[in-house]
Formats: sequence, C-alpha cells, structure tokens
Amino acid sequence: MDFSAALPVADVVAFNRPAIDWHAASPELILLGFGALLTLVDVIFLDRAKQYTAALAGIGLLVTMVPILTLANDMSETGPRVMFDGAYVIDEFSLIMKAIFILSGYVVILLSTNYIAEGDYWESEYYGLMLSAILGMVVMASSRDLISIFVAFELLSIPSYMLATWKKRSLESNEAGLKYYLMGVFASAIMLYGMSLLFGASGETILTKVNASLSSDPLTGESLSSSTPVLTLAVIFVIVGFAFKVSAAPFHNWAPDTYSGAPIPVTAFLAVASKIAGFVALVQLVFVGFYARADVFQPLMWILAAASMIIGNLIALRQTDIVRLMAYSGVAQAGFILAPLAVAGDVGDQALASIVSYLAIYAAMNLGAFAVILAAARKTGSTSIESMNGLFSYAPGLAVAMTIFMFALAGIPPLGGWFAKFQIFFAVVEQGGTWAIILGVLLAVNSVIALYYYASVARRIWADQAPDGDLTPIRIPPSLGAALVLTVVATLVFGFLPGAVSQFTDVGLIAGG
Amino acid sequence: MSDFLRSYLTVAIFGGVAVALVGVLLGLGSFLRPSRPTATKTMAYESGVDPVGDMWSQSNIRYYVFALMFVLFDVEAVFIFPWAMRLETYGYFGLVEMAIFIFILVLGLAYAWRKGMLKWV
Amino acid sequence: MNYDNDWFLSVLTFTPLVGALVMMLIPKADEAFHKAIALAVSGGLFLFGTFYLLTEFDFDNSGEMQFNFDTNWISVINSRYIVGIDGMALPLVLLTLLVVPLCVIYSWNHFPEPANPKAMLILILILETGMIGTFVAEDLILFFVFFEVVLLPMFFMIAVWGGPDRRYASLKFFLYTLFGSALMILAFLSLFFLAEDSAGNSLRTFDIQALTEWGGANLTRTAGLLIFGGMFMGFGIKVPMFPFHTWLPDAHTQAPTVGSVILAAVLLKLGTYGFIRIAIPILPQAAVVWAPWIGLLAVIGIIYGALGCLAQTDMKRLIAFSSVSHMGFVMLGIATLTTFGINAAVFGMVAHGLITGILFFVAGSVKDRYHTLEIKRLGGLLIQAPRMGWILGFATMASLGLPGLAGFWGEFPAILAAYNPANGVSETIFRTYMVIAAVGTVLAAGYLLWLLQRTAFGEPSEEFANDPEIVDANKFEYVAWAPMLVLIVVLGIFPNLIFKTSDAAVEKSLHPCLIAEGDDLAALDCPAVFDVEVAGG
Repeated sequence: MDFSAALPVADVVAFNRPAIDWHAASPELILLGFGALLTLVDVIFLDRAKQYTAALAGIGLLVTMVPILTLANDMSETGPRVMFDGAYVIDEFSLIMKAIFILSGYVVILLSTNYIAEGDYWESEYYGLMLSAILGMVVMASSRDLISIFVAFELLSIPSYMLATWKKRSLESNEAGLKYYLMGVFASAIMLYGMSLLFGASGETILTKVNASLSSDPLTGESLSSSTPVLTLAVIFVIVGFAFKVSAAPFHNWAPDTYSGAPIPVTAFLAVASKIAGFVALVQLVFVGFYARADVFQPLMWILAAASMIIGNLIALRQTDIVRLMAYSGVAQAGFILAPLAVAGDVGDQALASIVSYLAIYAAMNLGAFAVILAAARKTGSTSIESMNGLFSYAPGLAVAMTIFMFALAGIPPLGGWFAKFQIFFAVVEQGGTWAIILGVLLAVNSVIALYYYASVARRIWADQAPDGDLTPIRIPPSLGAALVLTVVATLVFGFLPGAVSQFTDVGLIAGG
Repeated sequence: MSDFLRSYLTVAIFGGVAVALVGVLLGLGSFLRPSRPTATKTMAYESGVDPVGDMWSQSNIRYYVFALMFVLFDVEAVFIFPWAMRLETYGYFGLVEMAIFIFILVLGLAYAWRKGMLKWV
Repeated sequence: MNYDNDWFLSVLTFTPLVGALVMMLIPKADEAFHKAIALAVSGGLFLFGTFYLLTEFDFDNSGEMQFNFDTNWISVINSRYIVGIDGMALPLVLLTLLVVPLCVIYSWNHFPEPANPKAMLILILILETGMIGTFVAEDLILFFVFFEVVLLPMFFMIAVWGGPDRRYASLKFFLYTLFGSALMILAFLSLFFLAEDSAGNSLRTFDIQALTEWGGANLTRTAGLLIFGGMFMGFGIKVPMFPFHTWLPDAHTQAPTVGSVILAAVLLKLGTYGFIRIAIPILPQAAVVWAPWIGLLAVIGIIYGALGCLAQTDMKRLIAFSSVSHMGFVMLGIATLTTFGINAAVFGMVAHGLITGILFFVAGSVKDRYHTLEIKRLGGLLIQAPRMGWILGFATMASLGLPGLAGFWGEFPAILAAYNPANGVSETIFRTYMVIAAVGTVLAAGYLLWLLQRTAFGEPSEEFANDPEIVDANKFEYVAWAPMLVLIVVLGIFPNLIFKTSDAAVEKSLHPCLIAEGDDLAALDCPAVFDVEVAGG
C-alpha cells in the first residue's frame, strides 16, 4: 500500500474519488441499511417495534439476495469485478459464499423468531447484531486484503460475542460469551501479529502482492525455493488465528462450552455461519495469499485436519448432551473441510470446489439438525441426548428430519453429506502422494467413527421409549417449520442431484489485483 | 524436506526465545531483588489510604457505558479533523460520506438515550 | 438391440421409491391403505418387471448390456447415470423383484412390535430401490450410492423392529459395512485417477464397462493390488467373508423376519455381485494375485461357518452361520476366476437367496408361535404343524445341496471349478481348497439334519404340547412361501435357466488371458502374471 499520498504536502493534491461499483457493493449497503433501520425502528418505537423486528431482518436478508442474483447473472458478461486495487473482489466464489451466508442467516432468523420472542431476551438488538455479523461475513467473502479481512473478521466476531451471552441472567450463557470472547481476542491477536509480520516482510497488504513477495526474495527479487523464516512464522500465525475461528483442534476448546451455553439459535449461527466465515477467510488466504508457499501451509493444514478429525470424533463419542455432541462433531467436520487445504498446492481447483460444496451442504444439514434440536427442546426443555428418546413415537416428522440430518452429517448416500465427503476424498486422492493417501485413510476411518455417534442419536429417536411415556405431540411454529422444510429439501437435493449443485460450487477464485 | 524442517525450526526457535525471554526477565528480577514481605507491603496500594473491602469490588456498570460512549466519540474526532481540513477537495461526495458516518454514530447515541443509558440513577 | 426401452430400468429402480414417497404423505392410521399400496407397488413391479424382462430381454445376446440408459449425472467428476442389465445381473434383479412382494405378503397380518406398518413398508420399498439400483448400476459412483442406500433402511429395520439386542446388532451391521465402503470408495477414486490407456491418456471415468475394457492395463502391480484390496474390504465385508462375518449372526438373529429374509436373500449378494461385476473384470491381474487368499478365506468361511452352526443353540443364529458357510462356496467359485466357477457363483447366489430366505421365513413363523428359537426347547414341529415341518424339511434338504434341488447347483460346480482354476492361479492350492470344501458339504449335511431332527422330529416338548397358539401355516405364509419353494424345485431340475443366461455375460466379464487355453492363450501375448502354472509346480 502506498502511504505517500497521505503525507502532508504543500500543494493541495486533487482528490480522486475511488471508483465504486455500486452494483457490486449493493449487497453490503443493503445489509448496512437494514441494520441501521432496525436500530432506528427500535429507537423510535421501543417495545412496540418488537413484533416486527424479526420480519424486518428476514426481509432485509431476502432483499440482499436480489443484487447477489443479478450480480451472478451478470458474471458471465462482465467477469469478476475488482474494487480498491484488488482489496475487494466480487467473483463466483465470493457470490456463492455470500449467498450461503445470507441464506443460513435467514434460516437462523427463522429459528430465532419464536425462541427469542418467547424467552427472556432483548429482541430488537438481537436482530440488529445478527445483521451486523452477517454483514461482516458478506464483506469477508470479498476481502482479498489483509486489512479488509481483519475488519470483516472483527465485524462478524464482536456481535457474535454479544449474541453468545444473550440469555439474560444465565451463568452458562455468560460463561459461553466470555470464553468465546477471550479465545476470540486471543486468536485475533495472534492473527494480527502474523499479519503485521507479513506486512513487514512484504510491504504489501493486498493478498496477490503478498503472494508474489512470498515466492521471491524481498531484496534481490529472485524466486525462492523455500520460505524465509519470518514469512513462515507469519503464515503460521495467521492460519492459527483462523483455526480458532473454525474450531479446529487443538484450538477447539471454547466451542463445546460456548455452544452449550449460548441460546440455541445463536449456537446454530456460530456453528454454521461463523465457522463458514472462518473457512472463507482461510480459503482466500491459502488460495490467494499463501499459494506460493504450499510447503509451509500444507503440512500445517495436514496436522490441523488430522488432529481435528481424530480429537473431535473421539470426544464426541462420549457426549451426553446433543449440543455438545454437535460441537465436537463440528470440530471433526472442520477437520474434513481442512483436509483439501492440505493438498491445495497441487490440486487447487478440485480442493477449492470440494471445500465450497462441503460448506454449502454443511450449512444445510447442520442448521437443520439445530432446528430439530430446537423444536424438540420446546417440549422437553432439555438438550440431553436422552431427551430425544422415542421422538419418533410422538413427533414422526421431526424424527425423520433429524434422521436425515444425522445420516447426512455422517455422509451416508443418498443424503446430502455424501457428496461433500466424496468431493474431499476426490481432491485428496487426486493429489495421490503418500501423505495424501494417509490422510485419505484417516478420513475413511473417521467417517466410520463419526457414524457411530450420529447413528446412536438416530437409534435413540427410533428405537427407545419416550421419557415418562409422555407422547404429547410438539407444536411447531410456522417459522421453525419453514426452516425445517428448507433445510430438509436442501439436504436431499444436494444428495440426489449433486450434479446440479456442483454446477454452482465448481467455482473459480480469482486472484484480483 | 530439510528446507521444510528448517522453516518450521524457526517457529520452534521463536517460541523458545519467547518463553525464555519471559523466564529470564522474571527469574532475573526475583533473583536480584531482595524479598522481605511484611503485611503492610503485601497490601493493595490505594494512594496511601488503607484499602477497604475486597480486591474484586464491583464498579457501577454505568461507568462502562459512559467510558464506551466517550471512546466512541473521541475516535470519531480522529476521523473528522483531517476530513474537515480537506473538505473542499472532497466536495459533495465527502460531505455525504461523513453525513452517513455521523448518522450511524448518532444512531448509537440515540439508542443509548432512548434505552435510558444516559440517566444516572 | 432395441434402444426404445431405455426407460425400463429406471422405472424398475425408482417405482418403489415413488411408492414410498406416496406412503409418506398418507397418515399412518390408514394401515390397510399402506399395505395395499406397498403390495400393489412391489407386486405390480414384480409382475410387470418379470414379464417385460422375460419377453424383451435378448437372451441370445445375454452377454451384452441391455436396456441401456446413459445420461449426465455429476459432470464435475465425470460420473454418469448409466444403467444396464446383462445375463449376470438379470437373475439377481428377478430374485429381488420376487422377494420383496413376498415379504410384504408375509408381514401382512403380523408386523413385529412396535407394529407401525407404514414405516416398515416404506423402508422395505426404499430397500428395493437400493437393491435393484445396485444390480443395474453401470457407473462406480452410482453403484456406490445404491450400495449405501440399502444401509439405512436395514439399520432401522433391525434397530426398531429387532430383538432384545437390536441396538448393538444394528450399529454393528452399520459400522462394519460403512467401514468397508469407505475403503471401497477410496479404491474407486484411485481407479479414476490412475486408469490410463496405452497412450498414457488418463481415462478419468467411472464407467464400469469402459474400465472393464481397460482391464487394469499399465497399472503398477502395487497400485493394482492396493485398489483391489480396497474393493475387497468393501465387498468382502458385505458378503460377508471370514474374518469380517461377525456382524452377520448378530444382525440376522436380531432382525425381524422380513429383515432377515431380505438381508439373506439379496443384501449379501450385493457383495458377491460387486466382485464379479467390478473387482475382477476391472483388475484381472490383481485378482490373480489375490485369488488364493480369497479362496483361503472362502474355505475357512465354509468350515468355520459349518462348525459355528454345530455350536449354535438358536435356530436363527444357526441359519445365519450357515449363510457364512454357503457364501463361502460362492466366494470359492468366484476365486477360481473361471467361467465355470463364476457361473456357479451366480447360481449359488440365487439358490442361497431362495433357500435361506425360506429358512428365515420358517424360523420367523416358528418364533411367532413358540416365542423362542432355542433349539433345545423346540421339537415335534411335524406333529404340531405338519405342513410347516415339511416345508422346513424341504428347505434344509435344499440347503444341504441335495441333487435335484437348487442348492446343489450352487455348491457342486463351485467345488468342481476349484479343480481347475484360471490361468495364473495355483492348481495345487485350489485343489486343496476343493477337498476342504467337500468336507464342508458333509458338515453342512450334519448340522442341517441335526437342526431338522431337533426341531421337526420327535415329540413336542411339554411346555408347548398343548399351546393353542401353535397352528399350521396360514394362507399368508403359504402365498409368501409357495413361489420360492416352486422355484427351488424348478431351478434344481432346470439349472440351465440360469446357467444359460449368465454364461455369456460371465465369459465377457473375464479377461481373455484368464480363461483362454492352448494356442489361443499363446496368441494373446499375456502379461507374466497369467503364466500357466503346472500342477504341483
């Protein structure tokens, strides 16, 4: 970045307004507008606004989808749009990720509507913060610059810290938020340290330029076959910072406590949208910023992937609380998503496509699972796995949905998850080196371990007696029902017609600049 | 492979130095300074006044709200002064930009006001 | 060939699924309606499918894939929706079409606890889609998906309607099979990336026919062996082969009757079918190296299964172990890598499906009446329920390989084929296996006659002597069993019905170097691995 323009000079330098592509920026602007509108409505009408805020937030997200669709439609003609010297890029990858963020945000708002209204929660602020966090994610999907990545990261993190503590007067919720906050700022600090090292060594913040400087000697300009120590350190620090966000082992410790303490819709939001945002940042950093340094990031990703899968799965086996189970299974899933990054240097296209499909499918099935947990908890008031016993006998629809989600997460064809896992295998086997094959076998073994706990949940739902023989059905409010239908349909379509879906997820990620 | 190991070695060395630095500084300090604790010396320091109550006393939560508001508008000034210096060159574009910026900040202030955060009771 | 009937196999595969979807939309209280739909769908499909297959299938070209349909499916990975049927798949598809409606009829009036016919019938129909789909899939990924589709319904069938130990058994079944298929998919993917034609161009296809044509040429020996090993795990666990068989007795014992029948009659065949459709045709060279080991595990399975039977106290568990033993014969036939052996294996699959199916049906009916399957508490079935006793006797005779019944044509040619295995496979080793397998048939006679003697003959034990619940077979049972009994006799007398159909397809699936002789073999210029070994050398 060139700072000379900012220095005081004698003459008044003419101001050149940066060219802004308003069409490309409109999703972010619309989200910002609706976030402000929510606060404004709250400020003016106070409690009278409560009943409209959820609907307003939902409409805001749906309206945001419009420019995303028109941008996608224009993409074939105009190609990727680049703003601010390559710091902000609208390409296929960023559009599909934005769509995933907004749709999963929409589902979370559907989940929240009754939950937040019926419980002891602040309402208007909840949706305002939710929109800010989603805005941060949407910005993240386009950021190809260290500074904008960091800003987006904080924009999505800070509201999440607050949302995690949203249960008033609940010690667990406070603990959840505090742990998340402390771990989050710790991660930010490490990441920022890495970024400053990167900037110090390369003098650049735009990822493409960082990449160029990573592969050449800063003094002589010759290309390097290996990394300089300071750059290695920088790359590792940045990646570790995001490893916290995606709850990859061994940086996962906050996840179970935070997930089980936070309100369930917020947990769903953290487990899906927030985690996907972390992966989006990782993907951009790895594929654009560090791509020249596969020798540095690949081993690191290999270790993170293997450790996350093994640790997440083994601990998940012992869980008695369904939300904690989902937390540890999320750690294991993170390991799966990291696996292609461990071979990304050699099979970039396939690795990228597999991650994007996985994230899309992951969003659908995980949100769905949380929707069922939420619905079941409406009756049982508990999130222990035992409270799911015999769900089939009094809520067959929910039971079938939960079964679909559990086995989709386990990756059993023909439900959505199989294609996600398959794509990962595909990338790993395509690389074909010894370490890749070992990772492939680890993936295979871990899918079997994971099946054990997913199938156990399904078995309880179908084969066990309902607690106390209480067979009163569960009333499902319309918004929750809509969320369930959306996620079930998405999970099934991903599974039966992976071809149609992979048309969208087989995306290019342009380097920008 | 050796290149790879060497580049990771840097990380190990870096970590080692970080730990060692802290250890050496603290260790050296405790080694050099005399240590003769008395009850008065271990007491929390409160400007020469005898401390009252627990160390973990709660402050009124309203302090934080005011502190936050202060920081917010303090930082706002950092943006506004240089902007004001160059306003002529920015033209209407700059004016609208700053209006949006201030609108969002004022929205926060209005929020705090409507929710009764500015009342000190 | 007639290309106008390309819709047929897709209709055959997905009609049950459509039926299941329709049933999902109807409230569960309307039980009669659910039964009617399930029977109409599966029975109608059987009548229509059988009629259409028998009239339209070109039996003179049974080696060729027929009713082909090929369209885009997942273009990113170049996986296509390809279905087709040849003489090897035809008998198995017909078997599936037959068994499913019989199961629906059998369970008509006595659904196991907790009844819920709607859910159970939906699961049966989904199973049917998965089973037919696996037999007609001609793309590795499509095959994999169908192969896995059957897991879920079977898991639930055992977990919900099973016996007291159902939770353990269902999970064990699921985990074992999934472990195998995870390695199998790795093997499929490696094939996709490693398959190169002689010019060095990567094939990058999952098309089974294209890969068969390629036949593992210019694949390194290690890669071939490892890929075959991955498939071996996937298919071998499903068969199940010793030492991966331990899920089977548990699953069978705990599963409801209908589940056991479908499991024994069709599901186990998915594994053996995988060997003859995918593993051996695509990787003949690796198959030659693996053959002695597969043969070894097969004969261990035969003997171990038989000895296991002798130690059982539970009728269903005994039949399950007999399955291990019988599938050992099928695998021995496959391991010879000869047309003779694999034809025997195809026959053995169908025969085992019918015979073990009927044995599980009878065991289920015995359980319904006596509420126990402990062999030492049973006895005198011939006195209390004579017709059922006779049917049990008939089925055990068929199972032990009595000439004139279907079981004979599954076992005897398999043993015979081991006398002269394919080129490159050691004759000495396989002749040893042959002797051991022959001992296995004697053991089979032993345990089956023992079973018959303890349960059907003799006087009824005191506790059941005057039990009013013990009645003879009812009309639903007759209707469900009769077609299988008739087929066992018909196939026993006219084995050529299957041998003629499968022969051409089997021959086409085997690499010419495996089966050619004399001058033909010399003309083929085969790789060294196919070198004919002199007996004893």
